Amino acid sequence: MKAAGLPLNVVECIKENPVDAILPVLPANIRDMVAALPAQVKEQVEEIRIRQGRPLVLGISSADTFIQTGGGLTSRAPEAYRATTADMERVIQLLSGSSLYALEEELRNGFITLPGGHRVGITGKAVLDGGKIRTLKYLTGCNIRISREIHGAGEHVLPHIIERNRRSIYHTLLMSPPGCGKTTILRDLVRQISNGIPAMGFTGLNVGLVDERSEIAGCYKGVPQKDVGIRTDVLDGCPKAEGMMMLLRSMSPGVIAADEIGRREDVDALEEVLNAGVKILITAHGVSPADLAERPVMTRLMNAKMIERFVILGRSRGVGTIEDIIDGRSMRSLGVRKC
Amino acid sequence: MLKFFGAAMVIAASGLSGLAVAGSYARRPRELRALRSALQMLETEIMYGATRLPEAFDTVASRCDRLAEPLFNQAGVELASMSGISAAEAWEKALDKYYPASALKPGDHSILIGLGRSLGRSDCADQVKHLRLAMEQIAQETANAEEEASRNVKMWSYLGFLGGLVFVLVAY
Repeated sequence: MKAAGLPLNVVECIKENPVDAILPVLPANIRDMVAALPAQVKEQVEEIRIRQGRPLVLGISSADTFIQTGGGLTSRAPEAYRATTADMERVIQLLSGSSLYALEEELRNGFITLPGGHRVGITGKAVLDGGKIRTLKYLTGCNIRISREIHGAGEHVLPHIIERNRRSIYHTLLMSPPGCGKTTILRDLVRQISNGIPAMGFTGLNVGLVDERSEIAGCYKGVPQKDVGIRTDVLDGCPKAEGMMMLLRSMSPGVIAADEIGRREDVDALEEVLNAGVKILITAHGVSPADLAERPVMTRLMNAKMIERFVILGRSRGVGTIEDIIDGRSMRSLGVRKC
Repeated sequence: MLKFFGAAMVIAASGLSGLAVAGSYARRPRELRALRSALQMLETEIMYGATRLPEAFDTVASRCDRLAEPLFNQAGVELASMSGISAAEAWEKALDKYYPASALKPGDHSILIGLGRSLGRSDCADQVKHLRLAMEQIAQETANAEEEASRNVKMWSYLGFLGGLVFVLVAY
């Protein structure tokens, strides 16, 4: 893992615990409260929500909880520490590296990606210019989502998406509501497909990864901070539709991977990719193929029967539970449940 | 003989202190010009490169005149340490070190402090506005400083020696 340009102490933290890695973007008082949390709580932290004038919320796998003034957790909101205006201002300064002007595009999209691939959602007042969002101001809320890299997260999915002849993979779509581990599993699948899996006799494929939100590879200054495999080319921060076409034309990938397909142009690009004989590995929000088929943009994708495997994720047995894997042609379950 | 040696010492001492005062009058416009061109570089970094401040400070420090270099270098170091301080605080810390060692006047100091308060806190267009304002003010101060320098540099460099000489003659 190479973190170009990061101060040494930050690099050290990334190795230790993902929560420690985001400490440098918290203002000193909140930083102390979070740093003092017990290790087993830190292990489970998924998000830290800071809203101006409201309690400091820690999202852990089971539920959310508040942080008390002076540290410690509480489930009662009145006892919680309330983020002050100064806290909020500091968080924004630290998140932006004191360079809000460098983040206009990010603010338009409503999130910033930190070194290490952690995504921070930001809310405030939108400034419009000709009906389009120009930027955000009065930034008063943020949600720091801690990204975890779990090697082997895609273990149970892999055998079902690799073709019988072991040369390639099926066109696969991972779906779930937000926060069920789609991105984590996608990242692990990309890594394994790219590296190859000797145990299954699967040699690696060139994978083209369009990482529009810098969440999958977590690129910092163009260098992937997460392990996405040895044969993976990453287009960082690139719009998916254009990125897929660029990769198709220039990098001769065996597989093209992208996160959160949802716009019309994404589906157009996917059709091109499919016609070019390149495999796709994508994710989308949704709970079932039927649910997906009802969304106008996705209907085309579904009607064309392009997808060969639907992997449905949930959190019935913790984040990343595989609820079902469905064959795209027969629309029947492959009989994999809850693992 | 001893008297002669003492007289030489007095003249040398007052002469040198006169030169020092003259030097600081001469240095201020040079420092202001250096600061202004460094801020111009910072504006370019922000406007065209959208470079983040810690890097932008480093880049400016490596390219600008050595008279302005310590300020930007120190500010870059403070910011990159990720110790949880804002850009304004990092700038002020750097200025606290830079200012006493410079020939700048309190008015110049307050221009720089004012600029620091807005650094990194707004969008590009706004940053450029603040930088332009600071550069404009510095340009004005430079003009004043140059005028002062032309009046005072010669005077002080002579005044030191001549003052020493007068003292020696009176005391002799």
